[in-house]
Amino acid sequence: MNGFASGLMEALLRDSAFILPQLFLAGLGTLMLWPGDLLFHKGEKHKWAPVTGAILIVVLALVFRTPEGTGFSGMYRVDGLTKGFQILSILGALGAVALSQRLLNALKEQTVEYYALILFSLSGMLFLCGAVDFVSFYFSLELMAICIYILVAYLRKQERGVEAGLKYFLLGAFSSGLLLYGISLLFAATGGKTTNFAEMGQLLPVVSQSNTLLVGAGVLMVLVGLGFKVAAVPFHMWSPDAYEGAPTPITAFMATAPKAASLAAFIRVFQTALPGVADQWMLPLGYVAAASMILGNVAAIKQQSMKRLLAYSSIAHVGYMLLGVMCGPEGAQATWLYMATYLVMNFGAFAIVIHLQGTGEGERIEDFRGLKDRHPFLAFAMMVFLLSLAGIPPLVGFFGKFYLFQMAVTQGHITLVTIAFLTSVVSAFYYLGVVNQMYFKDAPALAEGAEPEATGMATTVIVTVACVLVLLGTGFAKPLLEWAGGIGSEKKASQVALR
Amino acid sequence: MPSPNAVLIISFLLFSTGVAGILIRRNALVILMCAELMLNAANLNFIAFARHSGSVGGQAFALMVMGFAAAEVAVGLAIVVALYRRKATVQVDDINLLKG
Repeated sequence: MNGFASGLMEALLRDSAFILPQLFLAGLGTLMLWPGDLLFHKGEKHKWAPVTGAILIVVLALVFRTPEGTGFSGMYRVDGLTKGFQILSILGALGAVALSQRLLNALKEQTVEYYALILFSLSGMLFLCGAVDFVSFYFSLELMAICIYILVAYLRKQERGVEAGLKYFLLGAFSSGLLLYGISLLFAATGGKTTNFAEMGQLLPVVSQSNTLLVGAGVLMVLVGLGFKVAAVPFHMWSPDAYEGAPTPITAFMATAPKAASLAAFIRVFQTALPGVADQWMLPLGYVAAASMILGNVAAIKQQSMKRLLAYSSIAHVGYMLLGVMCGPEGAQATWLYMATYLVMNFGAFAIVIHLQGTGEGERIEDFRGLKDRHPFLAFAMMVFLLSLAGIPPLVGFFGKFYLFQMAVTQGHITLVTIAFLTSVVSAFYYLGVVNQMYFKDAPALAEGAEPEATGMATTVIVTVACVLVLLGTGFAKPLLEWAGGIGSEKKASQVALR
Repeated sequence: MPSPNAVLIISFLLFSTGVAGILIRRNALVILMCAELMLNAANLNFIAFARHSGSVGGQAFALMVMGFAAAEVAVGLAIVVALYRRKATVQVDDINLLKG
């Protein structure tokens, strides 16, 4: 027992540098709940928002300083891929906290738990980005998901929120059962020897000769479980409901941060643990990607609700990003780049939706009629974000798409890229539909003496920054690509080292 | 000790029961129980094959899954209770506000 305790202590002291950001997040999140909650009285809980923001910025700095390497008996790995996606997750959380203020203040629903749950969920995401073992992978995924179930149902006095929470929870529980069973089948296929991604990557091609059924079923179930988490078709049915029912800042959060972390896990699982059995998953993953692009874009056309439209568009964008997952190690940087651009555009669009919601509109697409007269700047920014989501050059969304499609073509996924290209033309149709509403339809008559409400500081800052980034992002293509290149090349180096 | 293949069959039966229950039953609480059944089917595999190969990793995994299942149930029940307070029902067919 003493040997075990001292071994544990030694491992913790040696490896805790790798998980310092997560320790910081989880530790402070716990302290916030108690005794931190006693610090501010009932009416002043909104003061937790700047505190949380400060914590997130410190975590961002910590992530940059984290040393690279593998720790905790091969459970957790810090490399370019880990850091890249961790940064995206943190930015997503930061945006969500900033955007939450208005809504929570208006509803008088400010609590310390809201912020603590975002921190806990984020620590799950940070772990997930670096998980290189099915044990750490599964538990970080669930830590992330469980906190988000609660956040979706956070406005528990609103029927819609609770309903969305329950739907998301039941399907999430189902998918995590599938995922775990898939992992257990893969574990069984290796003869119960290992759950480590790299070791499995070596064992699976060997055992799949004799245990074809076991390996095939395991791989498919892992694919289905992960597909649920990133909301890829046909495992997407929870996502429009959860997006619509959740508090809008949490919708923006769900569309970006957990997606970035899950995509990092997607890349790790399929490129480290299962590359040897690629013939088992390449085709199904291709179908999932194609179905996501087609259904996401087609279903978005007939939506009346802005949040549902963005939900379906996010399903379509996941389809594009899965294309990157299929492209091998080089695809990781294309996926990262796409996710980074998507994060910026998406947060910009959601900031505007949330602002309009504050004045009781913005929920339906019709509410955007004549926005150019009421809020010229917001209408212009919204147009920029939507055009960028549609991938129209020279905006940054085009750059992300172009790079990803080019990568996929060089890897020989011609059919998929054709589908992706055609569906992004379809997507332009419904994005432009919103632009049409904003610029060419007359606004409904304002109520007597009603003034368009001034934009709050958080909204202005986020919209301006996102708008500038989207407009000028392509100009920074070269440094961004170099930075993203680090994600792919270190990945390659790590794979070489494992063989 | 039973052969690993026998365990695989039992765990598959358990898993199928869970999946069938989730797809067929309409009561949120029963669906929750069926999800637990799926987790336990996976646990059975982990324990049997860890025992088979003599590694402790799989057994530790199963233990932690039990902890996770408890956390999941706690959150799930809280959401079901919140829903019951709003609508006085736990049937999933009755929650149909969000559509499209």
